[in-house]
Amino acid sequence: MNRKVIREDLDSRIFDAVNKVLLVCFMVIILVPLWNVIISSLSSGRALAEGGFIFWSKEFSLENYRAVFNDSTIGQSFVVSVAKTFIGVITHVFFCAMIGYGLSKRYIRGRKLYVAMGVITMFFSGGMIPTYLLIKSLGLLNTFWVYIIPALFSYYDVVILMNFFRNVPDSLEESAKIDGAGDWHIFLKIFIPLSMPAMATIALFNGVGQWNDFMTTKLYITDQALYPLQMKLYEIIVQSQTQSMQNIGGSVVIETTTKGVQLATIVITTLPIVAMYPILQRYFISGMMLGAVKE
Amino acid sequence: MIKMTKVLGKKTLKPALLLMAAMLVAAGCSSGGGSTKEVEVSLEGRYTVDPETPAWQLDKKEEPTDLTWYVNADWWNTDFGKDVVTKKIKEDLNINIKFITGDDTKLNTFFAGGDMPDLLTIFDSNSPVVQKAATWALPLNELAEKYDPYFNKVAAADTLNWFQLKDGKTYGYPNYSNTQADYDSGNIPAKTAFVIRKDVYETLGSPDFGTPEAFRKSMSEIKAKFPDMIPFGFNAIGEGTGSLGDALQDFIGVPLETEDGKFYNRNLDEDYLTWLRTLNAVYRDGAISDDSFADDGTGFEEKVKSGKYATMLLDGTPQQGGNLQIFMSANPGKEYMAVDGPQSTVGHQPTLNQSGITGWMINYITKNCKDPAKAIQIFTYLLSEEGQKLMNYGVEGVTYKLNPDSTVELLPEVKDLQLNNADKFKKDYRMGEFMFFGHDRHKALSKDAFPESIKQMQEWGKGKLKPHFILENINPDQGTPEARGQTAINTNWNTTLVSMIRAKDDATFDSVLAEHKAFLDKNNWDKIVEVRSEKMKANKEKLGIK
Repeated sequence: MNRKVIREDLDSRIFDAVNKVLLVCFMVIILVPLWNVIISSLSSGRALAEGGFIFWSKEFSLENYRAVFNDSTIGQSFVVSVAKTFIGVITHVFFCAMIGYGLSKRYIRGRKLYVAMGVITMFFSGGMIPTYLLIKSLGLLNTFWVYIIPALFSYYDVVILMNFFRNVPDSLEESAKIDGAGDWHIFLKIFIPLSMPAMATIALFNGVGQWNDFMTTKLYITDQALYPLQMKLYEIIVQSQTQSMQNIGGSVVIETTTKGVQLATIVITTLPIVAMYPILQRYFISGMMLGAVKE
Repeated sequence: MIKMTKVLGKKTLKPALLLMAAMLVAAGCSSGGGSTKEVEVSLEGRYTVDPETPAWQLDKKEEPTDLTWYVNADWWNTDFGKDVVTKKIKEDLNINIKFITGDDTKLNTFFAGGDMPDLLTIFDSNSPVVQKAATWALPLNELAEKYDPYFNKVAAADTLNWFQLKDGKTYGYPNYSNTQADYDSGNIPAKTAFVIRKDVYETLGSPDFGTPEAFRKSMSEIKAKFPDMIPFGFNAIGEGTGSLGDALQDFIGVPLETEDGKFYNRNLDEDYLTWLRTLNAVYRDGAISDDSFADDGTGFEEKVKSGKYATMLLDGTPQQGGNLQIFMSANPGKEYMAVDGPQSTVGHQPTLNQSGITGWMINYITKNCKDPAKAIQIFTYLLSEEGQKLMNYGVEGVTYKLNPDSTVELLPEVKDLQLNNADKFKKDYRMGEFMFFGHDRHKALSKDAFPESIKQMQEWGKGKLKPHFILENINPDQGTPEARGQTAINTNWNTTLVSMIRAKDDATFDSVLAEHKAFLDKNNWDKIVEVRSEKMKANKEKLGIK
């Protein structure tokens, strides 16, 4: 009896140890390239061209970042990016929650039809050119709202929220109704606070999407003042690649290389999201779990 | 997750489908597309057309003209009117240009949405957009006749003929379009060279690279004496397989056509294959790095910049000019220099290629253009001697001076800025960058047009150029089965070439080559040759070549 306990203990300890070793290896595999990107972005072009370093750069330099921030309009792009992410996330989550709330009620008339229509949009989209024509005739070209309005609705998110709302006991709603609460009141004061984990999950998904999106800009925006950070950085990268194509005569000592600028850009664009992650992580984990567990 | 069968129950599926059908019908009915109404401009009160004077000098239009100009390249600098060059254009022509940039996706949305810009610049002269120019662009000949006959004085007749569509009109005008006359003038510098680092060349006592045996021997010597270097490098494998495809073929003078004027598969030329076998041997000697096959353009450039290669078969020397210059400035006495590299084993002379008559970017005035008179004036202005000098060298007295021998020299402070502060130079002057209508012949006007690092290479290439006009735009039309076959063959040829050079023995080399030949047969090669021969014939007719 006693021996068995010890053996079990040993077994699980070995299991734990193996697990830890594997996880550490896994972590190293992920962290080393990440670290390499960061230190490479902090290297001079010359050191980068010679290559051959993994953990510490031969020549420290902020030139790559200077090249990126050299653009005077980058601050404005940052504001656009933050605004579109912030407004986009809030309106998206609220809008999807409203629809999800409605569709979660079994007594809604035509519910099945709406759900079926929604599912169809998950599999088929209009395609790029029809969508462009639609956006154009809605007068959304070259406006800030093109970032917000077309992004309001995602059926995928609605389904997640709908399922979440369904888990809220009907009796809760009934008792609220008896106390005289209307639909809006029930939705805003009961369902939303109860569903914060699901909302946070969707907010994070959507926020990352909004932050990283530059296709919308590429297609619908020509006004530089409305360029988000991603588009601006995309331009900087493309321009750094084609610098040599424009063969300006003379010896031009370029301190940066295309690769350096690209790496700096990666760091700049990823950093805000990485910084946000620990803050939202709490909701994120619980949100994912709660969304998945069903009775 | 939701169960699909439950959601798409039979009852709900029907109404949903009906609804979708109704939506489709509604969408179909409302699609009118954009209107492409041509604008007729009245010249009354502005000017009377005079064939002897450019219209922009006559035009008395008071208020500035606002034009949108779409450039199908994300990297285009959209500023206008801030630097020396565009400021002068703005003043002289009294225009405001708003540049819009994008890629093919954006271009498609423009065409689909119908809100075309006034002017449009694209890059692929073989694209369907160009073939259908008659539906969306204004013919340049008619515009010239109506608004600015001086255009015909500054535009090259050969180029206009070359871009004539089936209706006999020309819609677009390119930059860097070199005609036979340009080639004959000797003003076009070569852009291909076999280069070697000077220190290597001197240490080895001017080795020979001309014959396959000598090439292999010299490479082995380099490998032995300079173990840190890669003995032989070449442009990144990709379109046209870097510089080991067309460029090497031109270097050893593989014929452009068969004796009876048909398309000739230069890839299977025996002389060329002999050289590929040599490269295979060099590879097996360890003098070609495997990295070279994996490097992209950036990877290659960074090796050039740090002088990693002892020798290179370099295609596009001006594009590498900056990188070569960086190496040259940092390592005096070790700079790359051009030498006679691989030569034909059957006595052909090099037939180096340069930009052909098709040029690079091609510019259009669209049917939506608000003021076509102004638009054609821009074309005339930029194509004129004055415009060309402006784009390349700025304004006389401000950025350059004219020498007595009519060459152009940048003023010392401008030159200094160009050498030491590229960012500011680009921003304030933007010379050599606003090149919608730029041409090589004007580059020849100044010693400052090209970096020091490539001048010797250009000198070496004198007399070795031969126009490849007959081979331009001969690919099968996009969307045809031949075009698909062509794309597959090109991809296959890329991998074949790499496999041949990396072959571990002669048998492998031969079997890879045989596989490629079989691939050609399987992909309609005969048809493609037919299409190409046909197009070559048409090219000859357009240019009056017998």
